[in-house]
Amino acid sequence: MKNKLIMFWAIVLIVIASIVTICVKPTKLGLDLVGGSRLVLEAAPTNGIVTPDMMSSLQFAIENRVNKLGVSETVVQRSGDKRLVVEIPDVSDLDQAKAYLGETAELEFKKPIMISDVEAWGETGLTGKDLAKANLTTNSQNGQWVVGLEFNGEGAKKFADLTKELVGKPMAIFFNGELQSAPRVNEPITGGSAVITGGDSGFSYDEAKKMVDLLNAGALPVPAKIIEENTVGPTLGADSIAKSKIAGAIGLGFVMLFMIAYYRAPGIIADIALIIYGLILFALFKAIPVTLTLAGIAGFILSVGMAVDANILIFERTKEELKAGRTLFTAINSGFDRAFTSIFDSNMTTIITCVILYSLGTSIVKGFALTLAIGVIVSMFSAITVTKNFMHLVFGTGQLKHPEWFGLRADEIGEGFKAVETQREKAKFGILD
Amino acid sequence: MKLDIVKNKFIFLALSAILLIPGIAAMIYSMITYDTHTPVRVGIDYTGGTTLQYGVKEEISNNKLAAVRSGLEEAGLENPSLQIINVNSAEDSDLKAILSIRTKFIEEGSDDQAKVTSVVDSQFEAPELVQVASVGPTLGQELFKNSLIALSLALLGIVAYLTFRFQFDYALAAILGLVHDTIFVLGVFSILGLYYGVQIDALFVTALLTVIGFSVHDTIVVFDRVRENLKYYSKKMTFGEIMNASINQTLARSINTSLTTLITLAALYFFGGVTTKDFVLAMILGIAIGTYSSIFFCSSLIEIWEDKKTPARV
Repeated sequence: MKNKLIMFWAIVLIVIASIVTICVKPTKLGLDLVGGSRLVLEAAPTNGIVTPDMMSSLQFAIENRVNKLGVSETVVQRSGDKRLVVEIPDVSDLDQAKAYLGETAELEFKKPIMISDVEAWGETGLTGKDLAKANLTTNSQNGQWVVGLEFNGEGAKKFADLTKELVGKPMAIFFNGELQSAPRVNEPITGGSAVITGGDSGFSYDEAKKMVDLLNAGALPVPAKIIEENTVGPTLGADSIAKSKIAGAIGLGFVMLFMIAYYRAPGIIADIALIIYGLILFALFKAIPVTLTLAGIAGFILSVGMAVDANILIFERTKEELKAGRTLFTAINSGFDRAFTSIFDSNMTTIITCVILYSLGTSIVKGFALTLAIGVIVSMFSAITVTKNFMHLVFGTGQLKHPEWFGLRADEIGEGFKAVETQREKAKFGILD
Repeated sequence: MKLDIVKNKFIFLALSAILLIPGIAAMIYSMITYDTHTPVRVGIDYTGGTTLQYGVKEEISNNKLAAVRSGLEEAGLENPSLQIINVNSAEDSDLKAILSIRTKFIEEGSDDQAKVTSVVDSQFEAPELVQVASVGPTLGQELFKNSLIALSLALLGIVAYLTFRFQFDYALAAILGLVHDTIFVLGVFSILGLYYGVQIDALFVTALLTVIGFSVHDTIVVFDRVRENLKYYSKKMTFGEIMNASINQTLARSINTSLTTLITLAALYFFGGVTTKDFVLAMILGIAIGTYSSIFFCSSLIEIWEDKKTPARV
């Protein structure tokens, strides 16, 4: 009995810790609930080869751009070998944001070469990656807007070498594959800075400003395309939250009533265990933290179903043992022990499914698998420790005096399916009678 | 109530056939008639495409739907697929219905989305773009492949675990039960696709996998009991008698568990958000059929096999 009390207080402590966690930590809600956009970008380099380095710098560049949108709590994550997931909650002008994200800022310096007697522009190895920063200035001679470039250490050296090589020849500046200007190099430039003029027609303010912003945000090292988009308006999100809450409350209410109506006293214990289960699970979701999406909530509700299942399995076995005329203590113990293999095996298959879903699924599916798996694990804990402990504390030992507490009739007792057990099996279940 | 599965096993197998045949017929019909040659109507998750959903403050009449369709075709958007989703908004927002428009994949920078919006704007008062989902065509194929892989791996994982914990023929019966349940749910959605244009998406596959997990739960509980009873009674009773006893012992649990889960799902279906309705429906169907299959179908199969090899069993 002393162990049971220690266990009881341990459960009380866990419940208090859970409640504190729930009160203190914020709930992370998915974009489908609060509204927002989820974009998947895929790197699409011209030669088709994507390296991890390329992806890191792409991620960095995209992060910079997303931050410039001025929206809080944005997320940029790698997904697989060549994809980035970008999450932007509640953006006012999504079209503009999308255009901005996908915009490349490929700056290239090229030199004239001859390919089979035809003049063309050839690679020089000097690109936007060699920039330290870009700034917006005006040309002191004609007042036109120009983009000032400052190279980093290595870039400055490359630029000096290149201009030395090209004295007397033109050097072309390409931005996003488009020729901006091709000034003639008069002398080597060693200062590590340059300007891009808009050629003969010059830049408008907007053109120059955008180019500076894009260059400073970090040139996308590779072009990236949006291959998946999911945007949910705040109205639909709010509606989903409100409805899921109502549906969850109604569903849970009915299940609790059913448990009491069918299983009587143990049903009440199961309901209390279920509430404790819900508290622990919710606290875990906040502590980890797990982002709750609609699919995640579905996984949560399903795991409640599985938690109830564990209790039902146990109570059915306990009732059978009681029918066979066992004392309360032995009936509860062997009810738990015998139900355990079923609970364990069935939950293992669920966990196997969750692992597969989590490793292969898209983010919606991942959310579902994660909440379901955590739910199933916590449900085993709650059924085996919480329900069992409360059953022992409430019913104690001795013969069953009030069969109606278990929804049994007095004349059913002792008529059960009697097991022919070996002494060893009896000992295993703690059967002494 | 005592069920005699063993005596009526062929009736139950016939009943399973009756449950599955309409769905199978619908799937074959769909595979022949759909452009995608799939047994069910597949959503943009698997084909690629863009879905734009507009919330409106009125019930959408068929006339308006036709007007939107012709407006879209005039704007050069070919074969748009339109669907009305009725909303009974829970909160004070006056959202009445959602018009869902599915088109081919709208590339970045294309003005197709603006065209759709202007067509919808011309028919409804202040429509609100509530959801945009867009999946590139190659990504759709990839997702489809991944879903099939996930489904096969889940089945394999379950077979492996059951073979390890029970024996191979139990695992086989359990898997046949799962195939039975999957075909039933797919069949119903194939019929819904033919009549109401219901499409399956990534969430649907999630629902199927959950159903598989649940159905295996039920089957394991029955098999676990058979295994336990075999230990004690195999000398005194025939396998058929043990099977019957085990099913009856676990019957209350099987029904109560499914019932409690169905209660929560029904609450989600009737009071939950519109976006998860089909997902929940797939689970309701799957869990109901899963309970049926584990009580009647899988046990009938096992009984038939064990019956054939009776002398070997001690």
